[in-house]
Amino acid sequence: MAVMFTFASHLTVVGNRKYGMKLESLTLKGTKMIVELEQECLEAYRRKVEQASRCRAQLWQAVADSEAELAYICAALGERPVHIRQKEVTAINQQLEVMRARKYERRSKFVEVLDQIRNISNEICQSSEESIRLTVIDESDLSLKRLDELQSHLLALEKEKSDRLKQVLDHLNTLNSLCVALGMDFKHAIREIQPTLDDSSSTKNISSNAIGKLSAAISSLREVKIQRMERLLQLQDLATSMVELWSLMDTPVEEQKMFQSVTRNIAASENKITEPNNLSLDFINFAEAEVLRLQQIKSSKMKEVILKKKLDLEELCRKAHMVAESSSALDCSAEAIESGAIDPSYLLEQIELQISKVKEEAFSRKDILEKVEKWLSACEEECWLEEYNRDDNRYNAGRGTHLVLKCAEKARALVNKLPALTIDVEALISKARAWEKERGFEFLYGGVSLLSMVEQYSILKQEIELERQRKRDQKRLQGQLIAEQEALFGSKPSVKKVSRTSTGGPVNHRFSLGGVMLQTPKTDKNTLASHAFKKSSTVKQPDMRNHHQTGSINAQSSVVQNSSNASNVHEITTPMRKPLSPVSSALFSKANAGNIQDQNTTPDAAVERTLCSNTTPVASPAKATAAAHDENRTPRKMPIPMPTTPSSVLVAMQTAKTPITPCVPHGGQETEYSFEEMRAGFVLPNAHSKSLFQV
Amino acid sequence: MTAAPQVTGREISNPPSDGISNLRFSNHSDHLLVSSWDKSVRLYDASANVLRGEFMHGGAVLDCCFHDDSSGFSASVDNAVRRLVFNYGREDILGKHDAPVRCIEYSYATGQVITGSWDKTLKCWDPRGASGQERSLVGTYTQPERVYSLSLVGNRLVVATAGRHVNVYDLRNMSQPEQRRESSLKYQTRCVCCYPNGTGYALSSVEGRVAMEFFDLSEAGQSKKYAFKCHRKSEAGRDIVYPVNAIAFHPIYATFATGGCDGYVNVWDGNNKKRLYQYPKYPSSVSALSFNRDGRLLAVASSYTFEEREKPHEPDSIFVRSVNEVEVKPKPKVYPNPTT
Repeated sequence: MAVMFTFASHLTVVGNRKYGMKLESLTLKGTKMIVELEQECLEAYRRKVEQASRCRAQLWQAVADSEAELAYICAALGERPVHIRQKEVTAINQQLEVMRARKYERRSKFVEVLDQIRNISNEICQSSEESIRLTVIDESDLSLKRLDELQSHLLALEKEKSDRLKQVLDHLNTLNSLCVALGMDFKHAIREIQPTLDDSSSTKNISSNAIGKLSAAISSLREVKIQRMERLLQLQDLATSMVELWSLMDTPVEEQKMFQSVTRNIAASENKITEPNNLSLDFINFAEAEVLRLQQIKSSKMKEVILKKKLDLEELCRKAHMVAESSSALDCSAEAIESGAIDPSYLLEQIELQISKVKEEAFSRKDILEKVEKWLSACEEECWLEEYNRDDNRYNAGRGTHLVLKCAEKARALVNKLPALTIDVEALISKARAWEKERGFEFLYGGVSLLSMVEQYSILKQEIELERQRKRDQKRLQGQLIAEQEALFGSKPSVKKVSRTSTGGPVNHRFSLGGVMLQTPKTDKNTLASHAFKKSSTVKQPDMRNHHQTGSINAQSSVVQNSSNASNVHEITTPMRKPLSPVSSALFSKANAGNIQDQNTTPDAAVERTLCSNTTPVASPAKATAAAHDENRTPRKMPIPMPTTPSSVLVAMQTAKTPITPCVPHGGQETEYSFEEMRAGFVLPNAHSKSLFQV
Repeated sequence: MTAAPQVTGREISNPPSDGISNLRFSNHSDHLLVSSWDKSVRLYDASANVLRGEFMHGGAVLDCCFHDDSSGFSASVDNAVRRLVFNYGREDILGKHDAPVRCIEYSYATGQVITGSWDKTLKCWDPRGASGQERSLVGTYTQPERVYSLSLVGNRLVVATAGRHVNVYDLRNMSQPEQRRESSLKYQTRCVCCYPNGTGYALSSVEGRVAMEFFDLSEAGQSKKYAFKCHRKSEAGRDIVYPVNAIAFHPIYATFATGGCDGYVNVWDGNNKKRLYQYPKYPSSVSALSFNRDGRLLAVASSYTFEEREKPHEPDSIFVRSVNEVEVKPKPKVYPNPTT
């Protein structure tokens, strides 16, 4: 309506401007027309509006009608009335169902993952608030992105878990090796730390707490090990010293073996000692006890060593004709060791030092000593000669005189060299002087100053010389006197005799030889006799060769031959075996000729024996009837002649040993053949020419 | 000369026509296997006195033995070792030696046939590989001389050869003789036979003697050995000595019988060193002896053994006599022997 008014007013404005001048005259008429136009416009508009509203109402009507008609028709058809809106709802409902299912699915996935996360984090014992934040499902956010996030988190957790498991196992392994090395009960130790770790089948507790405990235990054990190592190191030190001492004392290996358990580890470092029980308290205690023992032994050994060394020292001194200076000091030290006042090793060192010193000195004294020795021996010789010369009867013949004479000759030769020796003495003195100057102390020979000795000697020598001079004069006088006396009364034998060596030795020796000579012939004779006897006993086996002939041909026995042998056969025939006694190999060999003689007491029995021994060959020799019972001489029971009719009488076997040196052709030129070979005409290929039995 | 039949035993009918080299009773029955110089091997049923079968070989048969009750083996002069199956009359050649095969044994311990030959070897055969020498021959073992006699007990094998050698083998190790011995007797070995208890062997020679030997080489063991004379005859002041061809141990009493060229069979008690019995003289040399499995029968081959070359002789015959227990049972000593 407003539009219409504005339109009408507009019209009027336009009409006014348009027609203002021209239509002034027409004003009245114009205004009237405009009003009419306006009227008309309004009317048209109203009509149009009415028409439209009428159309709408008609449409509503039509819809209602058709709906009513539809309802009517549906009712008439007996069908449910179809509502267009209901369809829309069902469609939406379906969509909703699908979405709900998807949501449920996603949620269960979330729950699953979260459960796992929760489990693992429980196992690992992570901080609780984080786990709570993670484990509660945020219903508003179930996106795939979130799920991915959770899953990656789970993976990380799983990785951590396996890492921890590995770590725990590593820890357990190291713990085990430590326990083994320390000789501790591994299971027990584990149970102390964490009971669940003990059981290998159940899952291991891998919480950081347990791991921390484990690593703490390991470090503590390691510390213990290091401590024990230190102790062991001490032991090793001791063991090393023991080894040194062993080499010093030449301890037998068997003794060393007992300590080898200790010394074996001398060179071992910390991580090398992994042998079971090697670091257990027991072992260490054992080793310590061992070392204690060793120390005790060592102290006693030390004493021994010191004593030994001291003996060495004394021996050295004696050899060098030196006086062992500090031996007294060392002597008292032996008690000091026992009381523990002096360290034996220190003492040992001292002795060693002394020994080396003495050795050095002895070396420096060596050439002087040689000269001294030579001089002294010369002096001795001189003394003896002097004495010998004093003996007036020295040339009297007697036992051993020749030896004395020889000695004298040697001594004289030596003494003749004395002038040269005196030069030597001069040299000796000069040398000794030089030595003394060098060292600053006297040259002692067996505790006496050498120079004084030499001096004394020269004084003595001079005295002797004087004496000799005197004696010579006296002798000359005496000689004159004796000559006078001899001319008057004859010579007078002396009584005294110088004997330097015991003449008994060689004489006795000769006698003892003689004794042997006297005795041996006897034994020799015996052995010779027995030899001869044996020989004769073994030789006499009748050396008859019987050619092998066929089985039971009667052959002449060589009685004549035997009888000719009979005389010497007596003691040599084969031993008479008692019947039924076993044939021993000894008998076969006939070594015991003595037995033969014992048994063959009666000569005629022996003759018969020889007969039978010769009649045995295959050539089936004839034999004296007596021989049969003789051969197996049962003392009381004579063999019963073979019955030709059956009899149940027991007959003793004619057991007998067979004579040796068989006359079987084997080994001879002829090859023996069995009856079968002969019959088959079998001839050895290599014996064709010699064969006698070719068919 | 000929004694009453009940004394010598029953003579088997249809004997071989030439010398009897060996005879053996079966371990399972009273079957008797006989080898002969007439080139035959015959199987008799001794209790029924029936000839059960005959095999003819290419040469004289020197030895034979049973495998089981239905088969056996033979050793022949034609160098061949044969297996004989009695039921079918079949014979296979196990293999050949280079010379006549003298003796044959079957070892139940090893299941092998062992043959000794004049080619100076011993051969072991596996009778199951009967289709060719290369498959049946187990081993050849050189001997010092021609093999004359074999005997088995358990795993022990005693080989007696010419030249008086005796080798003792362990069948489980044939590479080397366990013992090398020389016969205790001076003369050619005729026969060896092991004691049933396995402690030693008896060895007989051509010179009327038997040596009792023991495997145990210790002083004590060897002190038990001895030798005794047998099969001799004193005639007009002369001693005639006969070869001892055969030894057979009684399966139960371990006493033994010897047969000699004098035609006698003697039964001995080796432990008590006594002769238990002497059977009446057989018409010819006793060439072979065999007790049956229970020791109630003794087969005796009375057959000339060619000891005096070709000569007229009694016909070859086989006697089977029943053995009275008193003849073979060891008797305790009547009174203590003052010498022992």
